[in-house]
Formats: sequence, C-alpha cells, structure tokens
Amino acid sequence: MSDETPVDGYNPAQAGPAEPDDAAVATRRRVLMLGAVTAGAVVSIRPALAQTAGSVMTCEIPVPDLGRAGRFIDPAGNVVAPGTKGAFPPASRPFKGEEVKRALAGAQLPGTTYESNRAYVSYIRRLQRGQGGFTCFASLQMPRG
Amino acid sequence: MRYRAPADAALLTAELDAFTAVFHRPSGITHLLVSPAPEIVALLADTPLDLDTLLVRLGERYDLADASRDALAARLDELVAAGLVEAL
Repeated sequence: MSDETPVDGYNPAQAGPAEPDDAAVATRRRVLMLGAVTAGAVVSIRPALAQTAGSVMTCEIPVPDLGRAGRFIDPAGNVVAPGTKGAFPPASRPFKGEEVKRALAGAQLPGTTYESNRAYVSYIRRLQRGQGGFTCFASLQMPRG
Repeated sequence: MRYRAPADAALLTAELDAFTAVFHRPSGITHLLVSPAPEIVALLADTPLDLDTLLVRLGERYDLADASRDALAARLDELVAAGLVEAL
C-alpha cells in the first residue's frame, strides 16, 4: 500500500510507463499572427537611384556616354571610332528614361532608323556600372517605380 | 485568384534578428520581411494556392491566433505589390 496521497485520482501504483501526450504535441505549433489589415510586413530596399516613378522616367541616357562623346556606335552596340564603316553617329540628344523603357519593350527611340535604333538599344543594354546612363538604365528595370 | 511565390532557388534568404531579408534574384531587389510574410512566401513556393486554401494550410502549420481572410488578403496584397508573390 502506497504512502503517497493520490492526487486527482492518480495512483502511482497503477500508472503505466509515461506516454507522450499526443494531443499536446499535435497542437504545439508556433503561433503566427497575421496582423491587422493596416499593418505592414514587407519593406523593399530600393537603391537610391530609383526614388520616384517621376525621376525614373525623366532620367537620361546619352548614347554614347559623355566620356566617349563623338564616337560612333556599331550595330552590336560597341563604341567605335568616329566614321567607322557601318557604325552610327552618336544620338543627337540623350534619351529620356521613358523613351528607353518603351524602346526596350519594342518601340523605336525617337530620331532613329530601324538599324540605328537597334545599335543604340544594344549599346544601352550593355551599359556597365560606372558608365554614364547605367544608373538610369538599371532603374528602368525595377519592377515598380 | 491564386498566388504563387518564386521557387526557393530564385530567392536568397537570411534570417536576421528583427526580420528576414529576402533577395529576389530575378529583380535584384532585397526585401525585409516580418512574420507572417516569410511564412506565406514559403507556403506559396511549391504550388499556387488561392486565399482560402492558403489560410487553411497556414492554420495547419501554425497556430493562427488572429485568423482572418481580410488580414491574409492584406498581407498578400503587400507581397504582390513588392513583387515577391504573383497573383495568377
């Protein structure tokens, strides 16, 4: 006869081996709050170069960049010496972000022929960081703004 | 309307103390997420789900203290606006 006082009907002499409490394990899920409708859960880090939709559309891309002003653009978009056969003279003015965005989608840059448009667009697509117009071009490709 | 998140390979995720940073490779944009956004993105990575199914699946995996269609819809709208979730 056990000396222990049974608690809530629990009799140690009768208890079997300890078994996992299945119900407790099943409900031991992490709490997840969906939050209020007005709460925010996502912040996107956008480079400073694309601050507003307005600034993206009016930023400019010179073809070629100012450091290589006067040089020609060959059909593949390379910058070549002025007068190179088959290459196109520089664009008469820098293109606006809006114009380039449309050209990337299939329209033609203003003041260009079919061939010179292709050459300029190829040049723009190959812009690298550090070259004039790269920032504007990169910001055109952001999904929003 | 079904929702889909990019496959795991398209994201680079880092758990930071206060939030989860998610780099979305195709766009090159980094997003900072707090719960429940990363959990929602993870559940939508395999197959597209509609809002109600997503709510059920979240409830199976987590203890949803404040389960509400409106709240989940607001979270999904945010993720769609950020470009992390696609509305099909």
